[in-house]
Amino acid sequence: MFEAKGIRSGYSGVTVIRDVDLSVEREVFAVLGANGAGKTTLLATLARLIPLMGGEIWFNGRDVTKLRPWETAALGLAYVPQEKGIFADLTVLENLQVGAMIGTRSREERVDEIIELFPDLGELRTQMAGTLSGGESRMLACGRALMQDPKILLLDEPTAGLSPIYVDVFFEKIREIHKTRDVTIVLAEQNAAKALEIADRVMVLNLGEASEVLDAAELTTEKLKEGYRI
Amino acid sequence: MNLDWLDAFLVSGLFYVMMVIGLALLLHLQLGLARIANFGVVGFWGIGMYAFGVLFVKVDWPFGEVWAFLISVVFGTVVAGLAGLLVGWLIADLDIDGVLVGTLGFATAVWILATTEQDLTGGALGMGGLGFPYDIGSVKANETLWLVILTILVAIILYYVSRVHKSPYGRLLISIGDNEPLARSLGKAPFQTKLWLFAVSSAGMGLLGAMYGVNERFLETGNLGIDITLAAMVGLVLGSTTRMWGAAVGVALTVGLFDVVIQFYLPLPREWYTQAIPVLREMVFGGVLIIVLLFRPYGVLGDMRRDKLMRRMHGG
Repeated sequence: MFEAKGIRSGYSGVTVIRDVDLSVEREVFAVLGANGAGKTTLLATLARLIPLMGGEIWFNGRDVTKLRPWETAALGLAYVPQEKGIFADLTVLENLQVGAMIGTRSREERVDEIIELFPDLGELRTQMAGTLSGGESRMLACGRALMQDPKILLLDEPTAGLSPIYVDVFFEKIREIHKTRDVTIVLAEQNAAKALEIADRVMVLNLGEASEVLDAAELTTEKLKEGYRI
Repeated sequence: MNLDWLDAFLVSGLFYVMMVIGLALLLHLQLGLARIANFGVVGFWGIGMYAFGVLFVKVDWPFGEVWAFLISVVFGTVVAGLAGLLVGWLIADLDIDGVLVGTLGFATAVWILATTEQDLTGGALGMGGLGFPYDIGSVKANETLWLVILTILVAIILYYVSRVHKSPYGRLLISIGDNEPLARSLGKAPFQTKLWLFAVSSAGMGLLGAMYGVNERFLETGNLGIDITLAAMVGLVLGSTTRMWGAAVGVALTVGLFDVVIQFYLPLPREWYTQAIPVLREMVFGGVLIIVLLFRPYGVLGDMRRDKLMRRMHGG
């Protein structure tokens, strides 16, 4: 189980995330919100890339509040940022290989699994990652994170800016990753309709404050509009 | 061995070229892979040279000269490595401005220490008493053998750099240089990785400093100016910061061209060598650098081609 209790965080003394509670286990958990709602800050905070101003984070019964990002990564938490989720100076294959710095399974075995999941990456394996298209980069970022054999995968708007065909494919992949690899997924997303297709539970973030956590089926249009301040 | 055919100036010039190639290769690991712009190369080189020299000359060793020499070389290398560890600890999390100031400051501190600690280093007067750990006949023969030993050492550094390029450690260094915030989520600590890199490469620079001290037989603080750093940095940038062979090609085109070909083989008036050439050298270095960066922004060899390396390693 991954749990955040009353977390606060932000940048240069400005609080962006205010007292957010979150608890996820073996599910797809969607964090919805408009631009500037704090979704990226929340996920970066959970990945320990932004320092906490308050609150606690627990992972499988262990207090990870004071751990650094590489220490939580080693425990099984992987993060895919919205932008710059790949290493442009490395090839596709090398991007996957650096993802396998932790874990005991063989690197080759893991690479084969990721290429099975994202066949396009197999054809691009010797290409420089900096030359990939937006959709290919997102696949690679996701594949790189999965190479860590994570228990929790934090995905920050994985389909932002992608063409509709890629969006559909990507959401299918997220569902598949959750089901076949038993990975808990925390998905920050603006596209509420698509996110609700695959999410088990949902939380709407509004200016850094979280609404109540609901089952995806319980989220009404009114509650969503309230969260998006429409 | 009859070495009459060999020009003593050529041996001395090649020694300098080979040493700068070694420094540029180590700088390539820092700057080309991890994007740490170390402007204090001469500091690590110099501290290795002086630590070796002081221990070798000032200590009255109870055992043979060869052992004293080896222990002193190891000491110089370790001291440079420890200095790298300290400086790396200070600069590892700084941005490029901080790294520039920190490394330049370290090089200046080494120069000040070497100048002011006269009892140990001889200060501005310099320190003699160094020599080769062997004697195979003439000075030229000794220097030639030392050049061969240095060439072997630089070949080992080159081999190490090529191994780093192909290893998970090398990929981690490139990841850190490319996108450090993302690299923090890979499960390995970027700070410790950079620290280790800085310690190992600085130790290598210190070893090259000790080698140079032996070749010169005399240590002087005049060697601790910016020249060595500039020679390695300009050579590397000119060849290509990100490609392993960039160091060798760039240094051959700059230091090699000037300190060997022009200085020793062009029939120039004698007074030019003492007056015009040193100034002309820096001017041409700068001019060539500007021209190359205008037309080949990634250096003569171009940018890193990991895709080619991967195709060689994995096919496809």
